[in-house]
Amino acid sequence: MKKINKEKLPALWERLADEAALYLPVEEDGVVNFAPWKEGAAVNLDVINTMVPPKHLVFPQSENYLRFHVEGSKLEIEPLDVDGPYVVFGARPCDVAGIAIIDKLFLDEPCDTLYKERRDNGTIISLGCNEPEETCFCTSFDLEPGFSPDADISTWDLGEYLLWEPRNEKGQALTAKLDDLLEAADSGAAQAVEKLRQDAASREAAVVREHGWEVQGVKEALEDKFDSEIWDEIYRRCLGCGVCTYLCPTCHCFDVQDYSKGQEGLRFRCWDSCMFGDFTLMAHGENPRPTQKERVRQRFMHKLLYYPSNFEVYACVGCGRCVRKCPVSIDITQVIKAAGGVE
Amino acid sequence: MKQLNEVIKEVAAQSLSRGEVDLVIGWKKGDLWWQSYPAFVEGDEGVADLIWDPFCVPNLSRYLLEELDDKSKVAIFVKGCDALGFNQLLQDKRVEREKVYLYGIPCDGLVDPRKLEAAGHKWLSEVRRDGDELVLVSKEGEQRVKARDFMYDKCLTCRYPNPVTYDQMLGEAVEAQPQERFAGVEELEKISDDERFEYWARQFSRCIRCFACRNVCPACSCRECIFDIPEPRWLGKAKELSEDQFYHIIRAYHVAGRCVDCGECTRVCPVDLPLQELNRKFIKDINELYGEYDAGVDPETEAPLVTYNTNDPAAFTES
Amino acid sequence: MTVLNPLLPQVAKIVKIKAETPTIKTYRVVMPDGSKPFEHIPGQCAMISVPPVGEALFSITSSPTQEEYMEFSIVKTGSVTNFLHEVEEGFEIGIRGPYGNGFPLESFKGKDILFIGGGIGLAPLRSLINYCLDKREEFGKIDIVYGARTPDDMIQKDEIFKIWPEAPDTEVHLTVDTEWEGWEGRVGFVPQCVEEICFSPENRIAVTCGPPIMIKFVLQGLDRLGFTPEQIVTTLELRMKCGVGKCGRCNIGDKYVCKDGPVFTYAQLLNMPPEY
Repeated sequence: MKKINKEKLPALWERLADEAALYLPVEEDGVVNFAPWKEGAAVNLDVINTMVPPKHLVFPQSENYLRFHVEGSKLEIEPLDVDGPYVVFGARPCDVAGIAIIDKLFLDEPCDTLYKERRDNGTIISLGCNEPEETCFCTSFDLEPGFSPDADISTWDLGEYLLWEPRNEKGQALTAKLDDLLEAADSGAAQAVEKLRQDAASREAAVVREHGWEVQGVKEALEDKFDSEIWDEIYRRCLGCGVCTYLCPTCHCFDVQDYSKGQEGLRFRCWDSCMFGDFTLMAHGENPRPTQKERVRQRFMHKLLYYPSNFEVYACVGCGRCVRKCPVSIDITQVIKAAGGVE
Repeated sequence: MKQLNEVIKEVAAQSLSRGEVDLVIGWKKGDLWWQSYPAFVEGDEGVADLIWDPFCVPNLSRYLLEELDDKSKVAIFVKGCDALGFNQLLQDKRVEREKVYLYGIPCDGLVDPRKLEAAGHKWLSEVRRDGDELVLVSKEGEQRVKARDFMYDKCLTCRYPNPVTYDQMLGEAVEAQPQERFAGVEELEKISDDERFEYWARQFSRCIRCFACRNVCPACSCRECIFDIPEPRWLGKAKELSEDQFYHIIRAYHVAGRCVDCGECTRVCPVDLPLQELNRKFIKDINELYGEYDAGVDPETEAPLVTYNTNDPAAFTES
Repeated sequence: MTVLNPLLPQVAKIVKIKAETPTIKTYRVVMPDGSKPFEHIPGQCAMISVPPVGEALFSITSSPTQEEYMEFSIVKTGSVTNFLHEVEEGFEIGIRGPYGNGFPLESFKGKDILFIGGGIGLAPLRSLINYCLDKREEFGKIDIVYGARTPDDMIQKDEIFKIWPEAPDTEVHLTVDTEWEGWEGRVGFVPQCVEEICFSPENRIAVTCGPPIMIKFVLQGLDRLGFTPEQIVTTLELRMKCGVGKCGRCNIGDKYVCKDGPVFTYAQLLNMPPEY
């Protein structure tokens, strides 16, 4: 294990930015989001949930992937290159878990090479959470606020120092380039991390218990709930906006669109939301999900039943963004409770 | 406030049991102290869940667009800002007045949970209003703070805390104490065009195109929105600044003269775009060009942008 | 080894366009070098691109036994198809695929097959019909029930009127919804026709494709005739964008129509949420 004095972080970021494009939580106009580092950037490592999760770094909101040229009846198609190497610094364990969850879908056969290439180009440095927010429930999904098993490098905030531990070859390769900035951690470091992890997890677990947000058995409980009245209660206040889907670290639905100017054009994929009425609208006007009820049900069933059926993991990491940001307080914990899985 | 919390249950129970309405839309409480959300009550069982507390911010009148389809009469609770929104729906001929029963709620300002959190007030179990103060309840006990310090910005500039329209008023009228609502717009008017362009570009570039601002807006009640039409697709789906700007500026033009300044666009924006300021610029300009007009105050008054006077200024052609 | 981006189309060329009805055309497609775009199984689909309008998924109507080209019968109904209906022979398009599971051919072998199609629903069936006729010895008796609103709305007229009725051990039963001048065949809806002919369920598979309302009544009719849900096969259509089970819009429960379908037995559908 290594450590770095927090005073040296700007030097570290400068170095990382030399290696690759560096993204980290930056505060601008009072909003903290993952943004490219530049000198003097107001890096904010205290905020737990950035407003938008770093999902967009591996799965951009819109992504051009081919260029076309149309001339009369002739068509030319040319694939576009994916952006080069990048480093994500300060990703919280829930958000890293979100990426690991969508990996399962995109890397499943047939592999989405567009996603894979971008994903492979990135090195993720996680920052463990010392304590949970009120809306945190990652422990419901067997995740740990203080530790990210899926990051390439884990770090922990111990006040004066940031502890630093590479977790795989990619992490080790990057760590090796930072030798002069990192120092060997003290002998007590591992113990300190252990304590931080345990404290954060037990504090969060207590809150989860108090609210009844445990998710055990919810998948099984939802198996016969397609026609349940729980959806009637939940959907009715839904405004049909895309806040929940677009702020969700695991929502991954996309649309494919063309953009053209004269004979040249680009094809891109972009985020789409199952909350929108046109998501499943067919060309001839029929819609298998005609009202907001079917759409709300789809979103929660996808996260809590369909995704775990296909990939053996819930498509929720308990980051709490939907809990906090839904304008009418529709949040997944209400579905978890209504499904009634806990024994 | 405590009293009102009881009154709303009584009137809802009464209207439902007498068969005067098929549905009452109010608010109920979630797990967390700041979650007060729309509740749909059709029989006795839901009545006890209805609440009024400092977080009952969602405007309920938009739900009438859907709910009135299959019901003969629906009752909703309206605060001052909600009543303006309701009137705008009336003026836009999207709801029928006689199918709605309005319980008016005088509102002395609602609490922005983010302001409390920013001041370190977290992990609360309840927040009560007591006169000019808020009582913050947590496991450690109770704490009193000045209510006005933690209100939504939009409530600090509220000029209509008492509903301008209602069938039954539930409570004593409160006194409006509005701060100058155009202060933010005036600040932005002072900076140079380039700086202002840069300011809005920075804001809009944060937009994730979730359409929450549109979907919550009482002036955005079109049956089919131009931004949803697939063919031709006016608003491209690419995450490009030009598309973000197009969306927000066109939407602002579409609600110009009909925006009731309820500020819900700013409240629901998940990425903190100061949308109310954009819409207020239009309100301010309309006021300056065509005389004072408050959308939503009286649905019978003709709106300045849909009436023509020969002496109207022709600002666009003159400059 | 480079694995290609599954969303990346290849350029192909429309070499022949046949107007079937006022709103349906059949397009013959080859690669620029004249070869067939790719191999497929009957029932599978391909994504066709017409930049800058977009992409849409179509079932491949030609049989895999057709080695020269691939065909698609396309109804004019949205932006991509409106555009396709305006182009002429020689026009280049993008193509990617094949997508979906295709019909479970192995389980059809040695059995009598009853095809039930309505309108454009013949398109996916045609791929399988011609496959069965080209491998005639592998299957039992073939019956084809096909209906449309009017005789003018029927597609693949050469095949339904001439080629298929002359194939060995094959019967074609055509029907139109209402009386039509010059039409001497059956009159009535497809489900009605199926019940009237009273097909025996013994050693027979029923494969149906058509408008949802037709399928609904066909399923009821087959049930009355004694067909079990396992003996009935159909294909579904939902809005799709990627074709490879990623974009998340064509799911019914945990199944993706583009990847796990579009072919499902009725027994499978009964175990899925009714969201199609």
